[in-house]
Amino acid sequence: MSKKECIAMLLAGGQGSRLGALTSKIAKPAVSFGGKYRIIDFTLSNCANSGIDTVGVLTQYRPYRLHAYLGSGAAWDLDEQGGGISILPPYATQDGGAWYAGTADAVTQNLDYIKSHDPEYVLILSGDALYRMDYRAMLHEHIEHNADLTVAVMPVPWEDASRFGILTADDDHRILKFTEKPEKPDSNLASMGIYIFTADFLINALEEDAVDQRSSHDFGGDIIPNALAAGKRLYVHEFHGFWKDVGTIASYHETSMDLLGSHPDFDLYDYDTPIMSNDTTRPPHYIGPEGRVDDCLVSNGCKIMGTARHSIISTDAIVEERAVVEDSVLLPGAVVKSGAYVSRAILGENAVVEEGVKLGSVDTTRDTAVVGNDVVIGKGE
Amino acid sequence: MINRKAIGYITANYTGEAVSVLTDVRPIASIPFMGRYRLIDFPLSNMANAGIKTVGLVMPGNYRSIIDHVGHGKDWMLDRKKGGLFPLPGNPYGTTKRGMRFLLRDIISNKMLFERSDKPYVVMMGSNIIFNLDLNAIIDAHEFSGAGITMVYVRAERKHTDCSSLVIGDSGRVQQVKQGCEFGDNKFMDCFIINRDLLLQIIDRYQSADYLDLFEAIAGDFSLIDVCSYEFKGLAIGIFNERTYYARSMEMLNPDVADQLFRKDRPIMTKAHDAPPAKYSAGSNATNSLISAGCQVDGTVRGSILARGVVVESGASVTNSIIMQSCVVKTGARVENAIIDKGNVIPANTELRGTPDAILVVGKNQMPA
Repeated sequence: MSKKECIAMLLAGGQGSRLGALTSKIAKPAVSFGGKYRIIDFTLSNCANSGIDTVGVLTQYRPYRLHAYLGSGAAWDLDEQGGGISILPPYATQDGGAWYAGTADAVTQNLDYIKSHDPEYVLILSGDALYRMDYRAMLHEHIEHNADLTVAVMPVPWEDASRFGILTADDDHRILKFTEKPEKPDSNLASMGIYIFTADFLINALEEDAVDQRSSHDFGGDIIPNALAAGKRLYVHEFHGFWKDVGTIASYHETSMDLLGSHPDFDLYDYDTPIMSNDTTRPPHYIGPEGRVDDCLVSNGCKIMGTARHSIISTDAIVEERAVVEDSVLLPGAVVKSGAYVSRAILGENAVVEEGVKLGSVDTTRDTAVVGNDVVIGKGE
Repeated sequence: MINRKAIGYITANYTGEAVSVLTDVRPIASIPFMGRYRLIDFPLSNMANAGIKTVGLVMPGNYRSIIDHVGHGKDWMLDRKKGGLFPLPGNPYGTTKRGMRFLLRDIISNKMLFERSDKPYVVMMGSNIIFNLDLNAIIDAHEFSGAGITMVYVRAERKHTDCSSLVIGDSGRVQQVKQGCEFGDNKFMDCFIINRDLLLQIIDRYQSADYLDLFEAIAGDFSLIDVCSYEFKGLAIGIFNERTYYARSMEMLNPDVADQLFRKDRPIMTKAHDAPPAKYSAGSNATNSLISAGCQVDGTVRGSILARGVVVESGASVTNSIIMQSCVVKTGARVENAIIDKGNVIPANTELRGTPDAILVVGKNQMPA
């Protein structure tokens, strides 16, 4: 197999339990987002748009829908001879088998995959955030710094810094300190969970970590602190674009709303770096004679016979006559029946809100209402 | 399931009788339909949904847009190791003689497709009458009847000249194929099943009549060949000229009509694109319209069909019109009763207005940015 400069390992095995009902039957990276996308599309599109043609996707939790969605990788132009997408679930060996015990362990268990491609650099990604990033810029810095490890960071408001893993760096971007959720942060550069390793260093570090009884086998918790302690060359790559985690119901809802408006924070219409997806071939959506659509994203196959305001209407979702949907996200196939009223809610795939039901509250201090996939909400529920 | 009985043959190598700027720039098979589709998607999808994995597609001379659209047939699951999509050369005579459908010369010159197959039947289709049918039910009926050919027809809802109709006798035997159809006639859907052996015999026997349509050539031998008929009770839409194109497209604004064509159990497949969901701004006003992915609507859209990537700026209005891919209707512009082909930018504050009886048609790239 030909030598690769840089391959990516995409950690997609997490349950995403903080997304509640949305991930009860589906892995977080496969959760629908933005009308026609799934969360993993953003990371995979970043890979494709950055010229990375070899991506190992590490899966574990309820992987079927995710695997089916990834398919051959053709949707992201990642159906490549000698590369492309490889799905890497946990596996059995002569000594038995084990689940991935942590982010680092997941990669350790797939060192054979990495070695078979013989890359110079390995990009470690997670598939749970909304952002556009050219990984080539980060790789360029990594090479310039002759680094062992480069961590992508973004400045966060100082008052929020104690919620993140914070990196303190010197003027040359070399990392001095890494603190997980510091009480008194001395930097506001938060780790985005995106790492570039020089491959030789990664392999050594993981092999050492694997035999370390005290390790929790986590990149943030073990690999980075150990590398710092060993005096390795660790650098930050500062990212200044839009980046948001979509790992909780609140952040999922908020980030969805960020896609709306005339100048959205995240612009799906940036055709220079398109977001690719495994498209379903459904016909254009229909807006009925009494339909009303204000400040919305509407996908193929939808029928809007009622009113949709400031909402995301995903593929094949239906808003019936006299129904009103506002500040909400309808996932694929969700149905709001006639006369129903849905406000500040997320309706799961194929969820149904029955006729005349009121769901959700305009009161922004209350939690976003969530209806799980395939759940039917009738009157009095 | 892979179809073990049939291979497919689709002809795109013909032109309708009518002249239009829409077909000046592309073959009839490439005409965009309902925002994101092209007519060729329908025969390809009907075959794909029946599990047919070998399809010959006869190309007209100006095939660029067809190849661009179908590629290796991946979107119809026709990028096969075994079988697949075979673009076949068409004879120039297919398009110079207007109104031709199944030119015998094309069938003869591509007989290798039929010789190499081991399937008993060939499904043959044109591309300007579109429908969504269960092809396997028809193949089974054909097999059960023991006929040589089974021609699929629909009761004509209106008169047309650029199609043919079937005169059907006892026990469903086709006695004659007539040019044109009247209301209530058995309109031939340019779709039929033929035994592969019989087709190879016809190829040998009618060499000297190769300038004819297949059904013209065998007209005298219908009883010998045993030509049967099959009535399709669903929706079959004929696109023959600008008037029928506009009218049939507008009928899709009734969801009950569109749903007959776009069924989830037999999806119409098309070339995949990465257009984001359509975006409506707070001041937009869209009603009774079909709107494709990638559209940005700030203005008013009524009773219209917008293809992928159309922009309707604020203060602009589009009424009772079909706007094709990536057109921009600038602020304050008004478009009414019109078909606007791809690549046009309607300047700010201009009016393009046809009437319901005389639809205005703007050809491709006639109003560049």
